[in-house]
Amino acid sequence: MMDNIKKEFSTRTLVLIPIAIAINIAIGELVVRLKLPVYLDSIGTVLVGAIAGPWAGALTGALANLIWGLFNPFVAAFFYVAAVIGFIAGLAGKRGAFQNETPRWVSVLVGAVFVFSLTLFVLAFSNASTDDTGFTTYPGMTELFSRYAVIFVVAILIGAAIGYFLLQKGGYAGLWGLITGIVAAIISAPTAAYVFGGVTGSGTDLVVAAFRASGAGILSSVMAQGAVSDPFDKMLSFMVVWLILRSMPARFRAQ
Amino acid sequence: MNTFSMYVARESGLHKLHPLTKSLLTLLLLVAGLTLPGNWTGYILVLFIILPLALWGQVFRNFIRIVWGLSLPFILSVVIIQSLFWGKGTPIFEFWILAPKVEGALFAAISVGRIILVMAGFILFAMTTRPDTLMISLKQVGVPSSLAYIIVTTLQIIPRFQSKASTILDAQRSRGLETEGNLFVRSRAVVPIILPLVLGSLVEVEERAIAIEARGFNSKREETSLIEIPDTKTQFIVRRLFFMLMILSIAARIAWQLSN
Repeated sequence: MMDNIKKEFSTRTLVLIPIAIAINIAIGELVVRLKLPVYLDSIGTVLVGAIAGPWAGALTGALANLIWGLFNPFVAAFFYVAAVIGFIAGLAGKRGAFQNETPRWVSVLVGAVFVFSLTLFVLAFSNASTDDTGFTTYPGMTELFSRYAVIFVVAILIGAAIGYFLLQKGGYAGLWGLITGIVAAIISAPTAAYVFGGVTGSGTDLVVAAFRASGAGILSSVMAQGAVSDPFDKMLSFMVVWLILRSMPARFRAQ
Repeated sequence: MNTFSMYVARESGLHKLHPLTKSLLTLLLLVAGLTLPGNWTGYILVLFIILPLALWGQVFRNFIRIVWGLSLPFILSVVIIQSLFWGKGTPIFEFWILAPKVEGALFAAISVGRIILVMAGFILFAMTTRPDTLMISLKQVGVPSSLAYIIVTTLQIIPRFQSKASTILDAQRSRGLETEGNLFVRSRAVVPIILPLVLGSLVEVEERAIAIEARGFNSKREETSLIEIPDTKTQFIVRRLFFMLMILSIAARIAWQLSN
């Protein structure tokens, strides 16, 4: 295993990592300038994971956040989340998620299942009730399905459309991105809740407020906020990297 | 050279401290503030340790301005959300649908202490430590020089990438790319900007790799450094002390957690 790790850190990887971190920051700022409701600040990290491997990806993520943290300490607190994102990107790369083309119907399926589960998640949360002893009960599945049947059908259709038009042939990369986003949402929540009182100081705090108003606890509200915004963001990041690797000159790809 | 850093050059005692002493102190403040039992540790550490240090480092005004600017959105957000949307609790007052809760306000106050601690600790370190001296001192304690290379290079190329991104944005705009308008229009601008930026920089990788290998990057000989970093016996002992205090505060937390 040590040999494998050593192999990941060739001179080219060591040169690639600073560039990847600079890409993270440059694109992260660009997205803010374009006023888009996503972060896209881990494209460089995913790129290193995809090209060099999981350990190089993890190092890139951790360093990116710690260095960015010299300007914005909030980011530094989540360095371990970035490391995990880079690591999963590396695993995805090893499985060929960034090289292979996905049949479009698989992409449709991925998109539909994702938006469906997101809707289910949000509805289950916003319909949860907490009694006086602080015990939270969630509504039953059948009850949810019968009450919100129309919403679910619309969700599946939207998901399928996202799969067909947005994921296109990058369904596998998008799927890995979704999984990464879910993991990131779960592991970042404790830090966000304990250190920062559950807020990010940005627009996504409205989501936290909504979940808090519906009676959810601090930790679960933060997790829910993450689950709403992170998977979509990481899906886009993985897709962009898939696109980058496909448009790369063949000479570079071979190395 | 233009580097990505918040360093403010001053001739203060804090600036002259060994970078390792300062990084351990920062780490100690964060660990102690977040692990020590008790809700107000953050405020106490900021008030009695970080602020005096900022005065000593002659960066007080800038420091306050930056920390305040960074913390304000978090403070507003946490106070509004956690007091207004707390759920069940004792209301402070009720007006229309607004009913902030005592428990929520208390939680928000505790969180504000932690937020300010994290911001202030990091920023004070960043303002008083030159990134290159930090790297050299890390090398001296055995951090691989390739890691030091990554960090120093990153700090140097970030400003270049930021201006590169702006150049590409302008170039694509002049070719008619819409970057303003509704969400759909704006999101379509992302790929035509990202692709040239990333592909252009990947081409650079090979050139840089050859360049640093030609300059003996992989050499196994021991390296010497142009900059000498002064260290003292006292600081060495103080660093040991910081380290022990860090372990103590974690131990205190674990003991406190177990007894509850």
